[in-house]
Amino acid sequence: MYRSYKMIFLYLLLPFVLTGCWSSKEIEDLAMYTGMALDIGQPAPIEEEFEAKGAEYSKHNKVMTTIQIVPMKTVGTKDKNNTGSTKKPYLNVSGSGDSILEIFRQFSIRLDRPIIGHHLKVIVISSKLLRKQTIEQMSDFVLRDNDIRPSTKVYISQGDAKETLESSEPNEIPSFHITGMYRNQMRTSKVLDFVTLSKLDALMKTKRSFVLQNLVSGGGQIEFSGAGIIKGSSGHWIGNLNQEDAECLAWITNKGKAGAIKAYDWDNQPLTYEIKSIKSKISPHVDEGKISFKVHLAVEGRLIETWNKNNIPSTNYYAEKTSKIIEEKFAKMVQALMNKLQSKYKVDVAGFGNRLAIVYPSVWKQVEDDWDDTFSRSEVNFTYDISVTDFGSITETE
Amino acid sequence: MFNRTDDKITTSQAGVFLTNTVLGAGILTMPRSITQDMKTPDSWLTILLGGIIVMLAILLMVKLSQQFPGQTVFQYAGRIAGKFPSKVLCLLLVVYFILIAGFEIRSLAEVTLFFLLEGTPIWAVILPFIWVGTYLVLGGINSIARVFQIIFPITILVLLASYGFSLRLFDINNLRPVLGSGVLPVLHGLKSSVLVYTGCEVVMTLVAFMQHPHQAVKAMMGGIAIPFALYFLTIVFVIGGLTADAVITSTWPTIDLIRSFEYTGFFVERLEFPLMVIWLMQMFCNFCSFFFQASLGVSQLFKFSITSVIYVMVPLIFLAAMVPKSIQDVFALGDAIGTMGLTLFLLLPVLLSFIWIIRKKGLKQHV
Repeated sequence: MYRSYKMIFLYLLLPFVLTGCWSSKEIEDLAMYTGMALDIGQPAPIEEEFEAKGAEYSKHNKVMTTIQIVPMKTVGTKDKNNTGSTKKPYLNVSGSGDSILEIFRQFSIRLDRPIIGHHLKVIVISSKLLRKQTIEQMSDFVLRDNDIRPSTKVYISQGDAKETLESSEPNEIPSFHITGMYRNQMRTSKVLDFVTLSKLDALMKTKRSFVLQNLVSGGGQIEFSGAGIIKGSSGHWIGNLNQEDAECLAWITNKGKAGAIKAYDWDNQPLTYEIKSIKSKISPHVDEGKISFKVHLAVEGRLIETWNKNNIPSTNYYAEKTSKIIEEKFAKMVQALMNKLQSKYKVDVAGFGNRLAIVYPSVWKQVEDDWDDTFSRSEVNFTYDISVTDFGSITETE
Repeated sequence: MFNRTDDKITTSQAGVFLTNTVLGAGILTMPRSITQDMKTPDSWLTILLGGIIVMLAILLMVKLSQQFPGQTVFQYAGRIAGKFPSKVLCLLLVVYFILIAGFEIRSLAEVTLFFLLEGTPIWAVILPFIWVGTYLVLGGINSIARVFQIIFPITILVLLASYGFSLRLFDINNLRPVLGSGVLPVLHGLKSSVLVYTGCEVVMTLVAFMQHPHQAVKAMMGGIAIPFALYFLTIVFVIGGLTADAVITSTWPTIDLIRSFEYTGFFVERLEFPLMVIWLMQMFCNFCSFFFQASLGVSQLFKFSITSVIYVMVPLIFLAAMVPKSIQDVFALGDAIGTMGLTLFLLLPVLLSFIWIIRKKGLKQHV
């Protein structure tokens, strides 16, 4: 009898160990933000109204932060009666101040649920903001925070960053849209490798210049358009590379393997070449303290579109002829890019420095500190090996 | 059928015991601590060099212990160096074990509270671990070795899988140039790379528990080879994935590596959670090993019953875990433990072997 009492007592104790997590929070009671935009500091319209009524705190408006909250209720359900309404599945909240965390805490006196950063997917920073503030300042909080993951992708925007977090599509969440866009990299190298926070951290620590993909918005849609250059020594944005420059940069750095190259043929008709594979090799040379680089691009691809009324026979002669035209176009694009890097902006964002550091570590040690300058004075020679392997599914004879 | 009552462990159990004693929270911070001292991506060379040094040290400890079959360092130190000096030395070793036990459990709590259970009080994480540890340690070396054998393959598998998934971030150029700044940085990092093996002093007690002491060299070398290989992999993957510059400023570089990617649509999108939860078991093993060693030391030195010593250890370890006020203090304690480990190595196995050789060979005494 005593034994069974003891057992009952033990069973009664059991519920105490089954209480679950100490600090658990129900996901329905949290506001997850999936996108974040950083803009130049100015009170958001709603904030201005608040401040006019005296609802303010001490701050200097240095940055405006916009977060995109995804309310679970609207996303999860497919309500048929609701299809006609223009209700968006997301909510963008903006606030300005001079500390990102403080702005976040200001959101907490406006929203009904605490915001949580576990699912932040994308951060868009406006290039105007990066002219005033450094990228280190803007990313310090997100790198320190324990909720925000270092896998978050970082982009730059040409216009207002918060506009990239808006969409005219009724059922689309813009931050998810941006996150997914990198998938098109298999189609075109204008889509650069995405830069995650941890990659950004590494890039900033080396103090070398780098690029971030540039986002342009218009009419409720967005586009990847080239890349913004961040100067390593200052951490500021200094200019943009256009779409073709960005594509070219991806090829030189061996990060892009796709794309279409359109040129005009011997009859001035469009002729398009589809890249199947591309390999680039940068080899540094040091000759009596003079640094120079040789870049070899080996490209394979096919002739995929021509508007020429005359036949383009599938012969080696025409393959050769086509590749000459493509090579010229290549050289022109590369020239345009190198002009921008070496003359206009005087930055090395194509990893020439990395190659030098690997091959000539001791030379690198001497030039490391003002590498961007040294690079802009270095000679870079390009050689091309472009081959047309086929003419698609049309075979023509002479 | 498999119940043993003789408190002996098999050769493979001894190897796993050593592995689980060395592998702990260190793997989460090790890439930073080594790279900080070197500032080049050559840390993987340092870890190899440090590992070889540690292997030599272990060889020395095994050889010394084999001279006194069935006896732990707490018992044979007295025969070599005399009662009083050996008691002081061994007591230092016990304090060292208690400190590591506290340090391990504190690191475990820190990383859990930062990434997993924000808001949970620290004692609510530490106390259950100590209690469960007490239960395990009361079972004696056999039960501990058995638990280690079960946990070991699980934790290693999850760790290796996480590293495997991180391959998409891996860039061999982050590890280059090799020896770009010469050999000097490699030597700079040597101290911290030896320190990641702290805890290998347990060899001096483990050999006494081995069923086949003549296989001790094999078991211990095998036991240290696993952390050696894992540390090497860790440093290669973490620096290859994050770059040396980023690792220097990362508080938990290994976790940051796993946090830097996600697999959308995979059955776990974020691998840091399985890794951390599973690695908690590894840190638990680590903690239990030191808990056991410390209790064993006190009971053998002062001829107390081990059961009562284990219960007395509980508050001591809890205090050791709670003494650091901040994470900076925790890391400072880690450094102090490392330095203490080096000193103890010089004091115990080296000094003892030296005295033993002089007495045996020089003075022809019977020790």
